[in-house]
Amino acid sequence: MVVMRALLAECREMLTEQIEYRELLRQMIKRDLLLRYKQTAMGFAWAVFMPLVSTAVFSVVFTRVGRLDTPVPYPVFAYCGLWVWNFFASALRFSVTSLTGNPNLVSKVYFPREIFPLSAVIVCLVDFAVGATVLIALMLWYHLPVGMNLLWLPLVVAGHVAFTLAVALLLSMGNLFYRDVKYLFEVVITVWMFATSVIYPVDRIGGTVGTLLQLNPMTPIIEAYRAVLLMNAPVSPAFSWTALFSVVALLFAWRVFHRAEFEFAENI
Amino acid sequence: MKPAVVFDNVSKKFRRGERHNSFRDFIPALVGRAFKPRAASVLDDQEFWALRDVSFTVQPGEGLAIIGPNGAGKSTTLKLLSRILKPTLGACRVHGRVGALIEVAAGFHPELTGLENAFLQGAIMGMKRPEIVRHLDQIVEFAGLEQFMDTPVKRYSSGMNARLGFSIAVHLNPDVLIIDEILSVGDLQFQQKCIQRMMEFKSRGTAIVFVSHNLQAVAAYFDRAVLLDRGEPRFIGNASEAVAVYAAGTTRQGPAAHRPSRAAIVRASLQTRRGAACSEAVPGDELSFVVTYRLSGDRNHELDVGFYLADATTGTRLYNATAADRGLKWQAPAGPGEITVAYSLRANLLRGAYLFSAYVRDSLTHDVLDRLDPAAHLAVNETFSQQGCVDLDVHCRYVDSDSISSDAPAERLVGSPGR
Repeated sequence: MVVMRALLAECREMLTEQIEYRELLRQMIKRDLLLRYKQTAMGFAWAVFMPLVSTAVFSVVFTRVGRLDTPVPYPVFAYCGLWVWNFFASALRFSVTSLTGNPNLVSKVYFPREIFPLSAVIVCLVDFAVGATVLIALMLWYHLPVGMNLLWLPLVVAGHVAFTLAVALLLSMGNLFYRDVKYLFEVVITVWMFATSVIYPVDRIGGTVGTLLQLNPMTPIIEAYRAVLLMNAPVSPAFSWTALFSVVALLFAWRVFHRAEFEFAENI
Repeated sequence: MKPAVVFDNVSKKFRRGERHNSFRDFIPALVGRAFKPRAASVLDDQEFWALRDVSFTVQPGEGLAIIGPNGAGKSTTLKLLSRILKPTLGACRVHGRVGALIEVAAGFHPELTGLENAFLQGAIMGMKRPEIVRHLDQIVEFAGLEQFMDTPVKRYSSGMNARLGFSIAVHLNPDVLIIDEILSVGDLQFQQKCIQRMMEFKSRGTAIVFVSHNLQAVAAYFDRAVLLDRGEPRFIGNASEAVAVYAAGTTRQGPAAHRPSRAAIVRASLQTRRGAACSEAVPGDELSFVVTYRLSGDRNHELDVGFYLADATTGTRLYNATAADRGLKWQAPAGPGEITVAYSLRANLLRGAYLFSAYVRDSLTHDVLDRLDPAAHLAVNETFSQQGCVDLDVHCRYVDSDSISSDAPAERLVGSPGR
């Protein structure tokens, strides 16, 4: 009981702090958005360009070289996966260096440090929204209508963001203490993509590896997007578990981050 | 009244160099820690105390200065106060909203314009949007950057940068204001504006903690000061006295005992007329400066002993006198003894920190044989004046035109000797 109450008090403190500094979060997001595509000719088009190129490449591979059976036309299947995955991967890529890239702010001014990874994730969420326009275009092209199951979408996005944020908090903190994290991250994220149903359904992989891959939380998340957007189906039970896990992971990561915050200035 | 800042037996430990650069060093360190856990108060060979057992409190409306040489722990103290660091031992409590002017332009991004940065920096300092919008005109005006708000900050000069940062910070309205050596930026006019602003805050009840090497400002505007030296508090109390102690400690050359000389100063001290040691006074106090020196060698050679008074904050010499100047005839001592000379003086000085130095010289050649610099320090306390150091004993009155010709005292105004 006492432990629960202490935990609740801590959560309340963490939340109050965020609310108190909400203006700073807004300004940081604005700053990063302003800087993101400054001095680029294409601007926000970059947000859709990368997944589009990958979609085209993989479409050639999996429709011409080796045929892959997918429940929806392959390009839209792949784009949906890449679009969701790209948000996850780029949000993490920005988060990893979000603390170490601002040494002046971390060591000289006080404010809740969660703001760094948080704003990195939210900025990528803007790219994610931009990328959605292409998905809508593809859905129209392939005549994929949406139905009532679209109502699940907010829940799917929430689970997805919660999981991303949890990993982002831990990675940004990890990289502050050990710069190895940045390099390790690049390796892991590449392997992780092929262990997830991004460009092919991962359930084709059998055996022990297949069983292990079922523990990957990103697969149910991507499958949930495909279900509610492309196939007008409800989310799977696996997604419900993943969403629950994501929320718990977020709380855990946030608390670990919050407790270590005071050591950031002297270890950066 | 509840103190605004409580610094209670705070110690802070730092590491030299990196902790572990990579996982390779991390694993052995982790294993080591698991097998022999250390208490927080124990140092390992890579660690040192940046602060050791420092305690002070600051009341609302009070100004506390922190002074000391480089590496004394001043900035660490400020970082602890602004919650960037957490103390290793002890407790640091701050009540109310903290405004930290440590790095006023830390949040600036070079690619953004002055205006965009004003909003960003304001938010970093904890201001709400309507607050920034409300103060925007004042911020721009205070910084004097009306024409440059749409210019990217990367094209600003460092002075403009700092002025904008400071302007945002002083519109924060904090309960506790923490300031780190910012008076050194900006031109004279801007510095004066800043000090004026600080005094406004103080009179409104803001507690101020100020780190500076500008001892003049510390002695003139602050009530109390902490003198730190390598993390340890050497003096806590009256600001002028802290400045005097600091100045006395850093400029001390010590008696030149190693030099074979005909005379050596043994001791010198400042005393009250009753003979008690003295380091604090109010304007007009009667004091004695007592110098003792020892002779060796030729006794018939005439010597003279003198002292000078300097402003501790600037080093400016304010007064100089020798025994011979003041009409004291040379008297060769009978035995191989010491000679003690006492100067009676009146401390016609204003608020500030002062240093007394003594020297012995040859009466004929004026060669200085030995000196003690400084020999004593004096803090003069009063509250009515904030500038200047000489007490001219000024009185003022209205002069009505009828009485100028008839009244004698009016002549004093045109320079006839007074008393």
